[in-house]
Amino acid sequence: MAAIHAPKTGEAWDAMAIHPDDTVAVALRDLAGEAQVRIGGSIHKVLLREPIPLGHKLALRSHGIGEAVLKYGQSIGTATAAIPAGAHVHVHNMASRRARKMD
Amino acid sequence: MGKVQEVMQGDTASFLGFPRAHGRAGVRNGLLVLGINGLIAPAAHRIAAALPGSTCVATPYGRGQLGPDKAMHTAQLVGLGCHPNIGATLIVGVDRPSADGLGAAITARSGKPLAIITLDDVHEDALLLTERGIRLGGRLTRDLSEERRSMVPVSDLFIGIECGHSDATSGIISNPLVGAIADSLVDLGGTAVIGETLEWLGAEHVLAERAADAIVGAAVVAAVTRREQEVAALGVDLLYNNPGHENVRGGLSSIEEKSLGAIAKAGERPIRSVLDFAEPPSAPGLHVMDGPGFSPESLTGFAAAGAQIMLFTTGPGNSFCSRLAPTIKISGHPGTVRVLTEQIDFDASPLFRGEKAADAVAAELFDLMLAVASGTATWGEIFGEGDECFARFGGSF
Repeated sequence: MAAIHAPKTGEAWDAMAIHPDDTVAVALRDLAGEAQVRIGGSIHKVLLREPIPLGHKLALRSHGIGEAVLKYGQSIGTATAAIPAGAHVHVHNMASRRARKMD
Repeated sequence: MGKVQEVMQGDTASFLGFPRAHGRAGVRNGLLVLGINGLIAPAAHRIAAALPGSTCVATPYGRGQLGPDKAMHTAQLVGLGCHPNIGATLIVGVDRPSADGLGAAITARSGKPLAIITLDDVHEDALLLTERGIRLGGRLTRDLSEERRSMVPVSDLFIGIECGHSDATSGIISNPLVGAIADSLVDLGGTAVIGETLEWLGAEHVLAERAADAIVGAAVVAAVTRREQEVAALGVDLLYNNPGHENVRGGLSSIEEKSLGAIAKAGERPIRSVLDFAEPPSAPGLHVMDGPGFSPESLTGFAAAGAQIMLFTTGPGNSFCSRLAPTIKISGHPGTVRVLTEQIDFDASPLFRGEKAADAVAAELFDLMLAVASGTATWGEIFGEGDECFARFGGSF
């Protein structure tokens, strides 16, 4: 994960991971530059590669092609392109496994 | 032990309810006017309107139903007639035999005071039916007024957990929040249920892995597969329909992600059983109900199973509530809680804004749930937003 800072008590956060194993976090507001991400009981600073709209996902670490993207501690699909930490993760660079299975 | 249990120590892990002869305590104690046939629904509504404090549930159906559809319709009527939040039931029917049959089933399960009035008794005179119904219901109501609330352990609570009008906040804020409430309640010996089978699509393996045993796990997967195939037979491809364009715009990238957000409201405890629609759980703990995804029908399934309280998460707002079970509306969207000040009962937006820790907000919501169980009114109760919506599983003949 990019640029982790030591957690500071009382520090606000503007993105959150839901499960400790998650490889993505969700933006709680429109983000650019960097994000203060809450992961469990601590806050981590993540440098963003591009703007992340509210409700969308940012990568907490890099994903290789075919690697699972984890949210809720579970796979929500696989990377269809290399996704570096701090990148926007959405339909342009990840795809459902369930949908592929049914093809 | 989680944060909520630490907060809810000793005597505070209880609520003031109405103990029942059989089954769970009530969190309300009104008369139910139960219209069991669409023909007399207007009369049932007139009777209830004349008896302040009573609740009317009147089916629009009741004739020409066959097979599984008829059985499920009867299960809903019996379940609603037995609901813990009802102190007594007045059945309003057309013919004596069917009303007596339903009354016997309700009495056998609940042991509650019950009266029956039918068109058979009044020479088909719907106005005389109304007058006699008011008198019968009035007597039941007077008896109910003598009952008082007393301390009931929180383990007696059975909650239905619903989401409707989801948005980007639902899966990350309010659904995990109510999931934490479900976990706490289950840890304290209580019972919770989620439904809406097709909302598990793409996450059914997660629910199946959490099943108490392999049979329950297989039942979870089978329920999703059956409905998926039924939809496919109608020419609809759920996987490319869902998440929809609005969901994608809001940040959801796959059906797995959408469904994982939906099942987050089930918390993390083992799943004890897959209930049929309207089927009461036979043991405490977390259950899932195989039922429709339309909120009003889903809530009626939970109510017919005996859930006393509903926790209902919504992103932009959804006004529908169960008529029998006080429905606590929860939103994590800051704009929604600001605008719908007489609709959203619990403001989870401090979580969205990153102002409060999840444990602290969960403890507040657990407190509100116990307060509502003890008599605090929800906005839906105050403004009469409640209704019940009978689910059909086939057409009438």
